[in-house]
Amino acid sequence: MPRFRLLVGGVIALEGVLLAWNAWHYDWLRGYDAFANHLYADVVANDHRLPSASESGVWHTPPLWFALAGGLERMTSGLGWGHPQRPAQLLAAAAGLAVCVLAFLLARELWPERRGLQLVALVLTAASPALVRASAMYHPETLAVALAVGGLLVAVRGLRRRATVLTGLGAGALLGLASLTRGWALPVLVAVALVLALEGWRRRTWGPTLALVAVAAVCVGPWLANQQLAHGHPLAFNRKAPSTALLERRPASFYLGPRSLAVFERPVTPRFRNELVPQLYADWWGDWALTWDSPPPPPPWELLPDRVLSARIRQSLVGILPTVLALAGLLALALVAASRRSSAIGVLPLTALAVAIAFAIFAVRFPSTDGDTLKATYLLVGLVPAAVGAGFVVDVLRPPGRMSALVVGAMLVALAAVQAPFLIL
Amino acid sequence: MTDRRAARLGVIAALVVAGAQLVVGAAWSLGHDDPTELELTRRCLEREKGLQVEGVADDPIAASASGGSLRTIVEGGAVTISVGTSAAEVARLRARYEAGHPGPRLDVRGRYVTLWLRDPSRGQRQATYDCAY
Repeated sequence: MPRFRLLVGGVIALEGVLLAWNAWHYDWLRGYDAFANHLYADVVANDHRLPSASESGVWHTPPLWFALAGGLERMTSGLGWGHPQRPAQLLAAAAGLAVCVLAFLLARELWPERRGLQLVALVLTAASPALVRASAMYHPETLAVALAVGGLLVAVRGLRRRATVLTGLGAGALLGLASLTRGWALPVLVAVALVLALEGWRRRTWGPTLALVAVAAVCVGPWLANQQLAHGHPLAFNRKAPSTALLERRPASFYLGPRSLAVFERPVTPRFRNELVPQLYADWWGDWALTWDSPPPPPPWELLPDRVLSARIRQSLVGILPTVLALAGLLALALVAASRRSSAIGVLPLTALAVAIAFAIFAVRFPSTDGDTLKATYLLVGLVPAAVGAGFVVDVLRPPGRMSALVVGAMLVALAAVQAPFLIL
Repeated sequence: MTDRRAARLGVIAALVVAGAQLVVGAAWSLGHDDPTELELTRRCLEREKGLQVEGVADDPIAASASGGSLRTIVEGGAVTISVGTSAAEVARLRARYEAGHPGPRLDVRGRYVTLWLRDPSRGQRQATYDCAY
């Protein structure tokens, strides 16, 4: 056991160094919506109000992270430090690390005796390129994911034992704060509330559900009400949705992804732009929009440096097995949860499903010509359930014995080692 | 249902989904060819610039370009355009042409290696730039 703890501690420590290094070295302006994020944080921190649509392009994003980032910026500017955005990037890195720790804790909570499962879940989360990239950005995504997964963990703990009002309060607070950071946490909140309600109906105890809904409503309700009053919709976005019918907004290629094989040939913009599966896959495992370690996207006639393309092709190949395992894991968890009537396990695949549905509706509702509404980081809330599911499949299907454990360990090391040149800035 | 059975079913279902996506991709790539950069350039020169475009038979350097090559006449100036697919190949094409000391007749821009028969004017160069993809 001490050896296992050492191993887990080592993985977490390495991840911490990686994320901090990247956050320190990543040009904050390369991150998604970086300048608009800066303007938002500036308004919140200095004027103590929300920005108008003309003041920041991301006015539709909830304000929690911007308040923290703006506060940190004011503090560092007051100290005369020349990199006022860096602390917010380090906050994103800390949140990314918290996601990894929470993935391990969640796996341990559900299967305390399966150490292999816990380790696979931890490594798959830590070695996820989408998480590593988001953790370096001046962006709220990882904070929202950490808070949401924290809420998920509290809910799972409650469901494993016996959900109490305290469970509802804790999960509601964390999920409410996550929803006050990014809208992508709302599907998690809905999924957890649904599972708690089903459990409550089974046990005839409504306290936990009511507590969750009440606390979450206190956290995120005012924001949603403000959006309704100021912009006409609680989930208003920074562009108007087309007036055509929902299913007519995207061509068939969006749903089918006919250029899927190009992810192994040229997985960068503008190839398979607005094709859902290949674009998301290439962006999750690589860097479809070229915002990571490469020069900005060149004019069409220019050539990308060979190393940029080859690194991303390698990432696409590396991603095949973990992607299949993650999908298999979510399906397996759903089957196990259904057969055991375990809401503690079932909340994981339900969360992933809720996030996927919300994302699909968003992507169809707001089509864009440049493909900027199809970002893998939007799906990060589903990373931990998928990693735990993959860990479950690997641990259950591997033959018993020391040799298979070593093989799994070697594969995890290989996964990290092969990706290292891409993941380390 | 045992954990093992659930995991197996999960793997099978995941493989079916991944396989279906690959089948869609394979079927598309067998039945459709996205136009190459050379094809896009050819279409642009013909349709937007109204030029007559032909293949290159007498230039072994251009013929060796893996992205293909074409020849046309822009405002009275004959030009051979070759398309490289990597920085290394473009450097190789440039080096082979430079052995003949072409001077300003050789124009390398991104993946496009362009050799003019005589020194081109700004307008002639711009016509080829307009059709670069």
